[in-house]
Amino acid sequence: MKQNLANKFGWLTPEQLSEEDGRLAVTVPADRLQEVAAYLKECGYDFLVDMVGMDYGDRLGVIDYVARGESPADVIALKTSVTDRDFPVIPTVMNVWKIGQLYEREVHDYFGIRFAGNEDMRRLFLRESWKGYPLRKDYDASPEVNPVPLENESLEDMDTIRTVERDAEGNEHVTSRSLYTDDDYVINFGPQHPAMHGVLHLRVSLEGEIVRSVDPHFGYIHRGIEKLCEGYTYPQIPHLTDRLDYLSGTMNRHAYCLCCEKALQMDVPQRAVVVRTIFDELTRIASHLIGWGSMCMDMGAVTAFMYGLRDREKVMDIFEETAGGRLMANYNVIGGVANDIHPNFRKRVKEFIPYMRKMLREHHLLYTGNPIATGRMKGVGYLSREQVIALGVTGPSGRASGWANDLRKAAPYAAYDRVEFDQLLRTGGETFDRYILRLEEIEQSLRIIEQLIDNIPEGPYAEKVKGIIKLPKGDFFQRVENARGQFGVYITSTGGKTPYRVKFRSPSMVLVNALKEVARGNKVADLIMLGGSFDYVIPCIDR
Amino acid sequence: MWSFTQLTHWIDTSLHSCMSADWALFVEFVLIGVAVLAAYALIALFLIYAERKICGFFQCRLGPNRVGKWGIFQSVADMIKILLKELVHINRSDKVLFRAASFFVIIGSVCTFGALPFAKGLQAIDFNVGVFYLMAVSSLGVVGILLAGWSSNSKYTMIGALRSGAQLISYEISAGLSLMTIVVYCGSMQLSEIVAQQADGWFIFRSVPAVIAFVVYLIAGHAETNRGPFDMPEAESELTAGYHTEYSGIQFGFFYLAEYLNMFIIAAIATTMFLGGWQPLHVPGWEGFNRVMDYIPSVIWFFGKTFVCIFLALWVRWSFPRLRIDQLLGLEWKVLMPISLVNLMLMSVVVIW
Amino acid sequence: MKLINYCKNICLGIWHLMQGMYITLLNMCRPKVTEQYPENRGKYEYGERFRALLTMPHDAENHHKCIACGMCMNSCPNGTIQVIAKTETDPATGKPKRVLDKHLYNLGSCIFCGLCVAACPTGAIRFTNHFEHAVFTKERLLLQLNRPGSSQQAAKPAPAPASALSPAAPASGEKAAADRVEPKNA
Repeated sequence: MKQNLANKFGWLTPEQLSEEDGRLAVTVPADRLQEVAAYLKECGYDFLVDMVGMDYGDRLGVIDYVARGESPADVIALKTSVTDRDFPVIPTVMNVWKIGQLYEREVHDYFGIRFAGNEDMRRLFLRESWKGYPLRKDYDASPEVNPVPLENESLEDMDTIRTVERDAEGNEHVTSRSLYTDDDYVINFGPQHPAMHGVLHLRVSLEGEIVRSVDPHFGYIHRGIEKLCEGYTYPQIPHLTDRLDYLSGTMNRHAYCLCCEKALQMDVPQRAVVVRTIFDELTRIASHLIGWGSMCMDMGAVTAFMYGLRDREKVMDIFEETAGGRLMANYNVIGGVANDIHPNFRKRVKEFIPYMRKMLREHHLLYTGNPIATGRMKGVGYLSREQVIALGVTGPSGRASGWANDLRKAAPYAAYDRVEFDQLLRTGGETFDRYILRLEEIEQSLRIIEQLIDNIPEGPYAEKVKGIIKLPKGDFFQRVENARGQFGVYITSTGGKTPYRVKFRSPSMVLVNALKEVARGNKVADLIMLGGSFDYVIPCIDR
Repeated sequence: MWSFTQLTHWIDTSLHSCMSADWALFVEFVLIGVAVLAAYALIALFLIYAERKICGFFQCRLGPNRVGKWGIFQSVADMIKILLKELVHINRSDKVLFRAASFFVIIGSVCTFGALPFAKGLQAIDFNVGVFYLMAVSSLGVVGILLAGWSSNSKYTMIGALRSGAQLISYEISAGLSLMTIVVYCGSMQLSEIVAQQADGWFIFRSVPAVIAFVVYLIAGHAETNRGPFDMPEAESELTAGYHTEYSGIQFGFFYLAEYLNMFIIAAIATTMFLGGWQPLHVPGWEGFNRVMDYIPSVIWFFGKTFVCIFLALWVRWSFPRLRIDQLLGLEWKVLMPISLVNLMLMSVVVIW
Repeated sequence: MKLINYCKNICLGIWHLMQGMYITLLNMCRPKVTEQYPENRGKYEYGERFRALLTMPHDAENHHKCIACGMCMNSCPNGTIQVIAKTETDPATGKPKRVLDKHLYNLGSCIFCGLCVAACPTGAIRFTNHFEHAVFTKERLLLQLNRPGSSQQAAKPAPAPASALSPAAPASGEKAAADRVEPKNA
């Protein structure tokens, strides 16, 4: 690929085509971004994994991580930057990778970079009235600048898209356009709504029972985790990763620890590797059970939700015994795991596996065959493979549309290369496929645990690390497969005690975006069900 | 079998002996009103408790277990709480209709109580068009629901109300048709007559069309009570609470009571029309068995059968997901209504033969 | 043929509905999973490693192991811990020595991540599974972990810390819960 790029774009110097952290990094000037992006797409790089905004101090930049849909492990970093800090403009990549539209809004929100060609430059997490761009290094965080607001953000602010252009003399021209007209019947789903799985806010325009358009608003549980991370030392950060996607907290933490270990070139003891894998799979089971249950509840079957929670409780008990925490297990640490497995751990996991298999059969009997449920799920919410890749929908939702994106297979980490399991794919792409895939993945997770539980190697459970960890200089990007898709951790280190920039790739954010695409033309009831079938977790989106 | 007529006659004669006929009549009216309202409240309290407990059991939980032994006073506590709650008034709502709506709903269900034969001789008024009366009164509720949804001036309630209008009116057709099947069979609309005809065998055991009508009525009646899987109008995961989103305090309490009582009323009508009302189970030829059955008081027969129907409703409610509105209407217009029409014809053929 | 399929589908649908109802009925007859919390106090087993309250174990002579180094304070992401040290003259050597005055712990802002316990070089603090924290005022969540009048343990070789970062140590939970410190607000 490096050669291809060098041949195609003669102006690329060898410094601009470098290797970092085991991947190709292409640095291009902002005005050349779109042609390189288009070429990469031509070469099969059709999956925009993540977009990381950067403040390099003297200039502002964007790093696009792109991968090939065919082999999601093959990632290229596409970097660009501009020196104008006052009114930075970078061309958009949303016409190449559709999901770029959402990512660019996030970058704009944090860094104030405008993307030429992307009309919707509303802030994604913060209010429109927020002053300053918080992830810039010169951001003034004093409470006087942005006092705690005591009033709601006006709906007019939320619905108005303002395009700011600056002419040669530096005069700003603002054109604004409202998303809705007076005739639209707009309903607020959320931020407080029983089916929004948290504080998500959907502005839904209805035509009778039919959804005309959906406009998601994030940020109601925005805690500024990425900003907080810049002030924390490396061992302190992972307590926040559990609080992103709280249902797959262990896996998120795993991603962070892997990223740091990769940067430190540290070998993790085999015992820890296997225990981490078992914990990941237990978390996945727990998360899928909640996903299954809450989807059933969204469709009106409250009993199924209770059964899901009941079974998840068994996993939580195992967690509590070994890790000392139930939801926030705080189990992985840089170099291994926080403490050794409990003497009862093997026994309890072995009891859990047959129990879960039995319950899984019951869940299928209760719900999968139910003609009301299948009648609602089949034929609704179709996403094609191309759409899924373009929208960056990973995880079970992507695999339900036939896209093999499981990082446990594509880029095996931890102990996944030595266990046998199937990457389940379905070709339907409908709600039912997303639903059934989760239940079937529970079975695969049980298979993985079964193979590992008797083969936990003896030895230390953590590598000895110093009290103060300093990552070497550089950019590091690590992804794992969490219960909702690819969770990515990006760390820029300048060699100090604290990271220069931390970014988390949230699999849930793209899922909400996919919901927006899919819900159009369906009924209100289906909007809720589709939300359940994507199984997003709001704190992971808002970060 | 002991009849409540002895009791009512005794009250009647003793009242007449101590006051004039007009006053006696007035006192009787008051007594009946008090009795109906008391029964209404007690049955509602019991049903709320039963639903929560049974739902808990279905979900592997214990249900209410804090207030009193096994939580039996839970619904009393809830009632006190709901009486003490503030009535929130919504800006820009239609105040008059907003307040009136909850009364429409509750009056609709209280009125049915007057005509239901609860036990032998325990029936406030025995219309000769009893079935017709029940149908008419129980469809008053939909007016209340539509008013509630409209007057709240909220988008959720609006959708809920429109859904409920579409749903209740559709399902009333097959509910009515399946009741008509029985009317055709016994040739009377008078509830006492219908019950009396089932002394030797409940209708459901007598002919196939009656069984079909029973099943159709259970489904359609269940849909009329706005309970899952037909709880479109309130669909809490979509519309938060549907038509009664904006209500609070006792006004919400009225909707809540009416929902449970409607469940009871549907089950009671099903009992009266198909399961022999308060008539004990009689098998022709088994004299001993029949005599044993006769010893069980009629009021227990009635409430026992009603409770079985209610349990069925709860069981379905807590097992199935909700239908979508188009599927819901499709089920009625494409499946249930054709079936009940054919069934009605079938029943006429059976009767003529 | 179409009609047969239609009827078959209806029957199949009813069969599946009945299967669902069978499952709920089955669960109705199963033992219930509700925990009757205040009643089952003492009966219900929760994990001994469960992180619920930070404590500083004291031995019978009212000694603790804290050397007032402040590692826990520095490792806490939330600023939950405050170590206030004072200087005392060591009676054995006669040299001035840094000892613990107050170990203040704000339960209200603790996120139970366990970093302080992992950072402690002497194993002086530990999480216990005493989880009943409800109080009426926020002030009562401000706890002092060292007991009044307590002092540091005589210079014995410190036992291996129950730290996450020292793989040689046995699991911290296995030797747990011998001397639970009651919270000050109890």
